Amino acid sequence: MSVVHHPDDETLAAFSAGALDLGQRIAVATHLTACAHCRDWVRAMERVGGALLAEAAPAALASDALDRTLARLDEPTPAVAARARTAKDLPSGLPRFVESYRFGGWRWVAPRVSLRPIVLPEASATRVFLLKAPAGVGLLRHDHTGPEMTCVLTGAFRHEGGRYGPGDFDFGDDTVNHEPRVEEGEDCVCLVAMQGDLRWSGWLGRLAQPFLRL
Amino acid sequence: MIQNAAPRVLRAMYVSTLNLGLPPPPGVFRAALTALRRTSARRFTSNSTPNLTTVPDNRTASARDDRWVALIHAIGARQDRQAFAELFGHFAPRIKSYLQRTGASEAQAEDVAQETMLSVWRKAALFDAASAGVATWIFTIARNSRIDAFRRERRGGAIRVGDAEAEFEIDPTPGAEARLAAGQADARVREALAELSEDQLRVVRMSFFDEIAHSDIARTLQIPLGTVKSRLRLAMKRLRGILDQDL
Repeated sequence: MSVVHHPDDETLAAFSAGALDLGQRIAVATHLTACAHCRDWVRAMERVGGALLAEAAPAALASDALDRTLARLDEPTPAVAARARTAKDLPSGLPRFVESYRFGGWRWVAPRVSLRPIVLPEASATRVFLLKAPAGVGLLRHDHTGPEMTCVLTGAFRHEGGRYGPGDFDFGDDTVNHEPRVEEGEDCVCLVAMQGDLRWSGWLGRLAQPFLRL
Repeated sequence: MIQNAAPRVLRAMYVSTLNLGLPPPPGVFRAALTALRRTSARRFTSNSTPNLTTVPDNRTASARDDRWVALIHAIGARQDRQAFAELFGHFAPRIKSYLQRTGASEAQAEDVAQETMLSVWRKAALFDAASAGVATWIFTIARNSRIDAFRRERRGGAIRVGDAEAEFEIDPTPGAEARLAAGQADARVREALAELSEDQLRVVRMSFFDEIAHSDIARTLQIPLGTVKSRLRLAMKRLRGILDQDL
């Protein structure tokens, strides 16, 4: 099934410019792994970057900049350490560089919903994790204290915005209050990159909030 | 520092075309002048905003692109230091200004500009003219070097080389864009940029290239935040419209 929901153009452009933090870059890269159309757009945006770089107003370099660089040309090229995939039982659809990260264990966060943290190699304001729920599970109505990017890896969920299957990308921020429900079929596993916390609405959600904190 | 740069950039653009250190290929200089005249004629005869703020006309640019490809090949094939020095002369000062605009200090920008050019030297043999133009290729190397340098700084020096590069290597099942030759695709992008209004181009540049938050753009240009957002949206939509036709 083809991808229906994409990151917006600005997000893709920010990705191309290297302006997203690592957590958000991972969420967008997960979508790109599934979406040739957005990969094309990212390449087009890199071309925009190239065109702008070629015409940028030059800054003055240190007077010995060229000489210093020429003197380093014969240095041996530093080896790039190949990183092996260490985590087991990973869902399909993750970008290759993410597969080499350390993954925590699955833990329960709400009835029938579990979460598996991805350990990022650097501090990031964005937390990244896999979220898994079986068919029929509805997440409590919630909104966000910060932006949240979700990319579906397996299964599908549905909310007010439509149906989200493998590769589909969902963006939520503090203006969104939605109630996703997992569709019939296989378990839905998503990669989520989230800043801030989820806020569950309603008296039940508020009561459960201290326990459900993601 | 960026606003009202249009006339300066336009001038710098033509000067930089002439200052490449090589005799302009026959006809190119004339073509550039003709294009400039055409553009200024349009300025007075149509209502459309003159928009060649940073984008040279395609014949000039593609002659320059060919020259850069030849330089990269000379470096890749026979470690030609003279070719490297010429490429360095054009790109290193621009990489530095790009990095400073994304918030790097002058010292950082200087280091990363040199580091980027060192990577260009080392990777030159891997350059594939069929998949990217030289400026685009160097842009991605600079982007990755910048990310790696910031990481190195935060972690106090210990980092694997080439981490950021892996983060942009998305499994390459060639998409539609691969059908267009790189040179052609670069030309399309330049044309698309040239079709943006000056205001749109400025917002695009500030937002993506200078990494300035939208609220800062609004403050710098003294326009409402909503205007920044709508200009950006419109600009992206136009780019999308022009580029999608080719894909």
